[in-house]
Amino acid sequence: MTLTYKAVAGRDTRRTTGRGSLLAYGTTGLLVLLGLLTVAVSTGEMGMPASVALRALAGFGDPGDVLVVQELRAPRAVAAIVAGAGLGAAGCVLQRLFRNPLASPDVMGVTGGASLGAVALLAAGASQLLIPIGALAGGLLSALLLGVFAWRSGLAVTRLVLTGLAVQAGLAAAVNLMIVRFPAELAGSALQWTTGSVYGRTWTEVWGGAAAVLLALAAALITNRRLAVLDLGDDSAGALGLNTSAARLQLLLIAVTLASLAAALAGPVTFVALAVPHIVRFLTGPPTAATLALAALTGAVLLLASDLVVQHLLPIEGLPVGAVTATLGAPWLLVLMFRQSTPVRGSGA
Amino acid sequence: MTTTNQLSTQGLDLRYGDRLVVGGLDLTLPGGAVTAIVGPNACGKSTLLRGLSRLLAPAAGTVTLDGADIHGMSARSLALRMGLLPQQPVTPEAITVEALVRLGRYPHQRLLSPWSAADQKAVDEALERTGTTGLRDQPVDQLSGGQRQRAWIALALAQDTELLLLDEPTTFLDLRHQLDVLDLVAALHAEAGRTVVMVLHDLGQAARYADHMVVLKDGRLAAAGPPAEVLDADLVRSVFDVDCRVIPDPETGTPLVVPKGSAARHTAAPATA
Repeated sequence: MTLTYKAVAGRDTRRTTGRGSLLAYGTTGLLVLLGLLTVAVSTGEMGMPASVALRALAGFGDPGDVLVVQELRAPRAVAAIVAGAGLGAAGCVLQRLFRNPLASPDVMGVTGGASLGAVALLAAGASQLLIPIGALAGGLLSALLLGVFAWRSGLAVTRLVLTGLAVQAGLAAAVNLMIVRFPAELAGSALQWTTGSVYGRTWTEVWGGAAAVLLALAAALITNRRLAVLDLGDDSAGALGLNTSAARLQLLLIAVTLASLAAALAGPVTFVALAVPHIVRFLTGPPTAATLALAALTGAVLLLASDLVVQHLLPIEGLPVGAVTATLGAPWLLVLMFRQSTPVRGSGA
Repeated sequence: MTTTNQLSTQGLDLRYGDRLVVGGLDLTLPGGAVTAIVGPNACGKSTLLRGLSRLLAPAAGTVTLDGADIHGMSARSLALRMGLLPQQPVTPEAITVEALVRLGRYPHQRLLSPWSAADQKAVDEALERTGTTGLRDQPVDQLSGGQRQRAWIALALAQDTELLLLDEPTTFLDLRHQLDVLDLVAALHAEAGRTVVMVLHDLGQAARYADHMVVLKDGRLAAAGPPAEVLDADLVRSVFDVDCRVIPDPETGTPLVVPKGSAARHTAAPATA
């Protein structure tokens, strides 16, 4: 599997990265994120200069501006940032845990499960505030399904992807069935939600989900060291005092939680979790202690940027951000699978 | 309870699925000594090492360290006392020597504790001790076999345990590097009084470097004791199915196994096969 991973990750993986360039990557990423955030709060139907928008964000200036920035634009941007960070980190943890460059919550069916959970709650007429709980339950359910079907084969690459796709398809069908049977007024918002959108997020929806994502992110960063120990194989990891099964389960739960909560915030956004680890790897080389944090940052930048593209650069009105990431994601997944299939065939893996 | 780092097994059965690999083993591996585990291929040597290091739970019997059942200890507290170098360790892709060795500090670190001066000191010493200081920024998967093995031993040294388990540490190394590794093990024992248990293939090397020898055959104990007392022609014939003479090693006086020549081997042309 290591061979496979190398082959997919490409030429740049031989390079090792010093602290300096990691710091430079992190700093650049933060600056880009702040820049995008400034654009996000200052553009829209009512454009305003960045300085005015930032003052309004802090609560100063024209009450109208403050309302638009604080209540409309900021929650949307924060939802994109937090969901992106969660997705980036989830993808990073999953790909390393399974040593599989295709592992990501959308490919494995976790995102589908989260949708089902969320839509089921919407269908039952539950409050929007409960969506994260529904999404989390659905995400965990799909992880359980995946475990049941793919665990016996030792979570082999092809089995995992195929099982994930099957789970994802089944869950998506269930979601569609629910939408069809919804009362019309709920169906619209549910449909909007299932394409992945941060449109119209309000603080009441965002803050709870955001806090939960940040907690899960903190848990991921704290347990990050275990990923490096697991990389040594089960015997070495066990001899270093790590309970490998428990550590795997724990990291898997954290990743599923991150992805499900991100889905609760932004809908079932695809591609971000799959692509972010590859981007980080391409730019900074093999994993280090900083990789997870950089993945979260990259995910935030990617989703916020995609949302800005959706809002301002595309001519179609009201397109959800999930549509953009899915359009980019499908060919990316194909390329990854194509590049992976070459070395795997020879080794019979 | 004294800490002499003495491992022992009582009626130990180890299984993989339905297959009994090690059966009814009563064994004491003296603390503060170097023990070599030898035996033919597939006799359960590596399995025994996995059982001794808690990676494999006994199907029956117990493994104790200074009298305490190792399965009653936390994984971490055992990892603070016992390090293991597996036979074919998995080198993470593109990891540097120093990053690899730093992982040896894992059991010493608490969940939120930052990298400490003591951690760095242990890593520096482990690199120094194994002669890999100059390689610290090199990717491990680009090193030669001997260098890579030393990097892995450095990881086990950074773990800073009094007991070290090594599974065939000399496999795939040329003679020079085999001797380097074994000399390093001998020095670790001599200087720090570490208890070492290693699986070895070469009987002469085992006799030369070990104070105590455990001979396994088909998962059962064939013999145990100091090499000079254990290793004789009868044992080698019954365990390895090889006719031989056992003579004193001209360098060290330890037993040296010299297989008897067969007519077929003598008449065969030297460079064929």
